[in-house]
Amino acid sequence: MPEQTTLRVFTSEQHDERNAALLGIVLGVTFTVCFVTGVLSHLIQDPPSWFRWPSRPAGLYRVTQGVHVATGLASIPLLLAKLWVVFPKLFAWPPFRSVAHLVERLTIFPLVAGGVFELFSGLADTHLWYPWPFDFRSAHYWVAWITIGALVVHFGAKWAGTRAALFDRTAPVVAAAPASTSAFDRRTFLATVFGAAGAVTLFTVGQTVAPLRKLALLAPRRPDTGPQGFPVNRTAATAGVIESARSRDYRLRVEGKVRRPLEFTRDELRALPQHEATLPIACVEGWSTSQRWRGVRVRDLLERAGAASDAEVRVHSLQRRRQYRHSDLNRWHAHDPDTLLALDVNGEPLDIDHGYPLRLIGPNRPGVQQTKWVTRVVVR
Amino acid sequence: MSEPEYGRAYWVALPIGGALMAFGIAGMVGDKGIATSLDIGAWLVGADVAHDFVLAPLACLIGAVVAPALPRWCRAPVQAALLTTGVLLIVVFPALRGYGHDQVPDNSSVQPLDYTTATLTALAVVWAGAAAWSAVRLASAGRGRRRPRTRARRGGRPTSRR
Repeated sequence: MPEQTTLRVFTSEQHDERNAALLGIVLGVTFTVCFVTGVLSHLIQDPPSWFRWPSRPAGLYRVTQGVHVATGLASIPLLLAKLWVVFPKLFAWPPFRSVAHLVERLTIFPLVAGGVFELFSGLADTHLWYPWPFDFRSAHYWVAWITIGALVVHFGAKWAGTRAALFDRTAPVVAAAPASTSAFDRRTFLATVFGAAGAVTLFTVGQTVAPLRKLALLAPRRPDTGPQGFPVNRTAATAGVIESARSRDYRLRVEGKVRRPLEFTRDELRALPQHEATLPIACVEGWSTSQRWRGVRVRDLLERAGAASDAEVRVHSLQRRRQYRHSDLNRWHAHDPDTLLALDVNGEPLDIDHGYPLRLIGPNRPGVQQTKWVTRVVVR
Repeated sequence: MSEPEYGRAYWVALPIGGALMAFGIAGMVGDKGIATSLDIGAWLVGADVAHDFVLAPLACLIGAVVAPALPRWCRAPVQAALLTTGVLLIVVFPALRGYGHDQVPDNSSVQPLDYTTATLTALAVVWAGAAAWSAVRLASAGRGRRRPRTRARRGGRPTSRR
């Protein structure tokens, strides 16, 4: 089998098998974490029949999605470093040595392209920036499967070499560039890459970890900034609901599979028993914030309307378009004592951008499913 | 760089990984959120090209120009700070350009900071760290010259110990 060679311009000590192996293992872990938490988030938003997401613990989704975004951001320097380390192999000659090697090299393309695309599109999504013609969630999701598949192939192909590079002390160390002129040696490079990942985390993770919010210099959101002191994803003006939300004709209707359909004005809603709960809004984009909410329990409404005790519910917004104009409460969420149709937050009526007059807020739900400007509860 | 022969792990991983990739491609083709897979194909190729033929050569170029021009005691700290600066700029560039907020101009909670100031602040922290590291290296290199026997392993030692 012929040896491969590459361009002789790559003299830097960082293009080293041990760095490639170590960064590969770390990226294997971070990409797996992102994949698992991402698929979980997808299942929660579009649950198949075999999947039912619990309403407890209340902050679980906040953690899984916070980890998803933070891990993805920290992976940016790790992926770039890994690609830098193996960059000379791109120019290896001859391009392949065997059919097995050709197949392995072909799967490098979906791995690199998919990895770069996932990190870039995820970063852009945290900024609500969509510079492409397709739906972000669909693309990010399906490319994740392609990328993880390519990662599995890559892992299989590199496993033996990785073990040898890292653990086999008898294996000959691949000669580094002789007497490198750089003071930036292999270990310093690795330390810098992990330092950069740490810096990215330090300057962004405050968007979900409240005590670090002052350090979130590079994050697109601050958990303490927005109307009533926390962020908004979609404003009332963008949703086109200002008029209908403020209208005198506003009503909340409870209908569907109920014995007594109900209808409430704002004042009648306030006259119902109120319940308070401290619950997070945990946005898919990675920011989260806990607030004190007050309003009517969904399960009290269901009981009043004579719905079945295991009823499931679809909550509709005044919004006319968009996929998030309604959201579903499975039986655990619908009957959780803290799942509210909130009228107030932190002792004040909701700002119209936070869903005035009425919004859904429940434990352990993605932010996009905490539907705002609620006007209809349909029991199913 | 010779590579070891493929072991059993490769032949196990190949069909599993291949099936996962096929699942992703099939799902993408059937997803109505994606009008044509050509769009995504173009973005994937673009992502690869942008890295392999823009970003990586740029990093090579910067390293090749900057590293030899620096004195030895600050070479590693400056390279480390440059790398970190580049990564932080990638993370914050949509906010610096206002990409995202320009789509929802009435939403003041998206990109709420003055990101020029915020970015300069973060970079100041990074470069202050690099300056402190350089100072330590300079000091220990100075001592190293006077007492090479006892201090030679500290700080500004030669890079390769192999």
